[in-house]
Amino acid sequence: MIELEKVDKAYARPGAAPVEALRDVSLGIGRGELIAIVGASGSGKSTLLNVLGLLDVPTRGAYRLDGADVSALDPEAQARLRNERIGFVFQAFRLLPRASALENVELPLLYSDRPRTNGLARAALEGVGLADRVHHRPAELSGGQQQRVAIARALVNGPDLLLADEPTGNLDLRSALEILAIFQRLQADGRTIVVVTHDAAVAAHCGRIARLEVGRIVSDAPVSAPRDAAAALRDLPLDIAAQPAQASQAGREAP
Amino acid sequence: MKTLPLLKGSLRTLAQHKVRSFFVTLGCLVGVAALTWVVAIGRGAERKILTTVRQNVGASAIIVASGGGLMAGGARTDAGRLTADEVQAIADALPAVEIWEPLQTLDEAPVRRGEATALTRVVGSSERGERAWGRGVTRGEWFDAPAVARSARVALIGETTARELFGAEDPVGAEILVGNVPLRVVGVLEPFGTDAHGMDRDAELVVPISTLMRRIMNVDSLAGAKLLVADPDRVEETAVEVRRMLRERHALPPERADDFHLITPAQIERMVGRARAVLFVFLPLVAAVALLAGGAVAASLMLLSVAERRGEIGLRRAVGARARDIALQIVLETAAMTLLGGAAGAALGCAGALAIAGKFGLDVAAPWGAALLGLALSTAIGVAAGAIPARRAAALHPVEALR
Repeated sequence: MIELEKVDKAYARPGAAPVEALRDVSLGIGRGELIAIVGASGSGKSTLLNVLGLLDVPTRGAYRLDGADVSALDPEAQARLRNERIGFVFQAFRLLPRASALENVELPLLYSDRPRTNGLARAALEGVGLADRVHHRPAELSGGQQQRVAIARALVNGPDLLLADEPTGNLDLRSALEILAIFQRLQADGRTIVVVTHDAAVAAHCGRIARLEVGRIVSDAPVSAPRDAAAALRDLPLDIAAQPAQASQAGREAP
Repeated sequence: MKTLPLLKGSLRTLAQHKVRSFFVTLGCLVGVAALTWVVAIGRGAERKILTTVRQNVGASAIIVASGGGLMAGGARTDAGRLTADEVQAIADALPAVEIWEPLQTLDEAPVRRGEATALTRVVGSSERGERAWGRGVTRGEWFDAPAVARSARVALIGETTARELFGAEDPVGAEILVGNVPLRVVGVLEPFGTDAHGMDRDAELVVPISTLMRRIMNVDSLAGAKLLVADPDRVEETAVEVRRMLRERHALPPERADDFHLITPAQIERMVGRARAVLFVFLPLVAAVALLAGGAVAASLMLLSVAERRGEIGLRRAVGARARDIALQIVLETAAMTLLGGAAGAALGCAGALAIAGKFGLDVAAPWGAALLGLALSTAIGVAAGAIPARRAAALHPVEALR
């Protein structure tokens, strides 16, 4: 589905040598893959994600999406592709603070040409388990819930490619596992997901790990047995401090 | 791209930044309020002037003033003379002229009755004065044609002058001295009050025109004449005739200007129109300055807002907004604010105009045109002021904005 061929990306700096963020990157990603891009900060992970998300264009090389070269498209066509086929998830969630969860999720529909969008946002929120939080503002939601709103926003237009930049970086373990479980479920549904992370535990939930160092891919290998986030979530002991109501109930039922 | 939800979002953004929105709104509010207020008051004042002028001149009167100057300058003594005989001849030759009335006034004359003295205007009039001015007497009688013919020593007295000279006594039949000319009071004028120039029209004497000219002023020409035309629709064509005949009588060659001046109702309306042009050009300029200032405030505050909302702009780009969608959003936000200010200003201006109108007895109608113009102007200014920040927002690189 995605084919990067000998992609270079250099940033011009006034009065200094350009920064070469990506060098000779060739990468193929098949439909339905869940792939982690790992590497130290400054290794070019985010640049790679920006190129894949059509937010930035390569300096050299080709980017083919389903066989069509999209790196040469004009900005309007790229904006349309971002709207229809690509969803973004950010580390800092990037929700509009004064809008409700539902209004945040509706944002991409604003820029869509689809004639009927009624109910899509609500359905997307239901899909991430937030049917009872549609009118809450981001400040009234936990970090995990905010990231789920952001995922619903990324999915509302039914894209087949999901790009996530450190999606669990700001979350506790339980919330992180919830997000990863959603990603694994989406993968099972046939969506292609690229997760940029520096966290080996997150990468271990993916089917494939590509490692970047100073702008080059230095290793790219499938994961023999990816961890199951849903199962890990079931095995996670209930956090007594975080879940007081359930904890006390559990205590009463204990023999 | 859906404009309506985008507009909804813009309005919400405004509601969230109330202080900023208020200041952007303020300039347009002041500008449009000034505009509607000025137009409303101006219209009311114009109507008031027109009504009083029409009261004095009448809708069907032609004033002939001797001398070629404009009405405001008064008659020039060295210019052509106007005699009662030639006005009479013109009035006789033109059947459209119903009656005519000579104009000659002594502005301030000392009037005595025994020990009591007063300063009054002395107005010359014909026996037709009652009809020509629409002002009669409350006691006694208006002097008749023979009295005018023989320059009778008679006078009609206004109530203010009567009070000054006679107190509560009945002045009719009494003798008064204008300068050293003895006159007998034969009637009391209907009270008039104050005219458009603020003059007390009850502090005057009306005497036969011949008496004023020969016995009191010692002049043999008129300051002017008032011709009443029976059919108001024929006033202007009659004025053309009067002018032609006067030029002929004064033997003026074509290259020379008139040595008299005609004032017709149409001309008065033109004069009022000139006064209105001042009101309607200069005062709106003041409003325009306020609007421009409002636009400048809007532009700078929106620039600030764009800088503040880089992240939001980046996010919108990431989820599919094109550069022009971002630009449109910023322009919509700015225009919504200035339009809001314009609407509030129009309402405020109308309310203010009505309040002032009540106080000064002006007949003020709601200035719909001015209000609409104000709304259109404030919207246009919003669009113009939004253009610069919009261009800057649209030019932001999505990756830069998301950083």
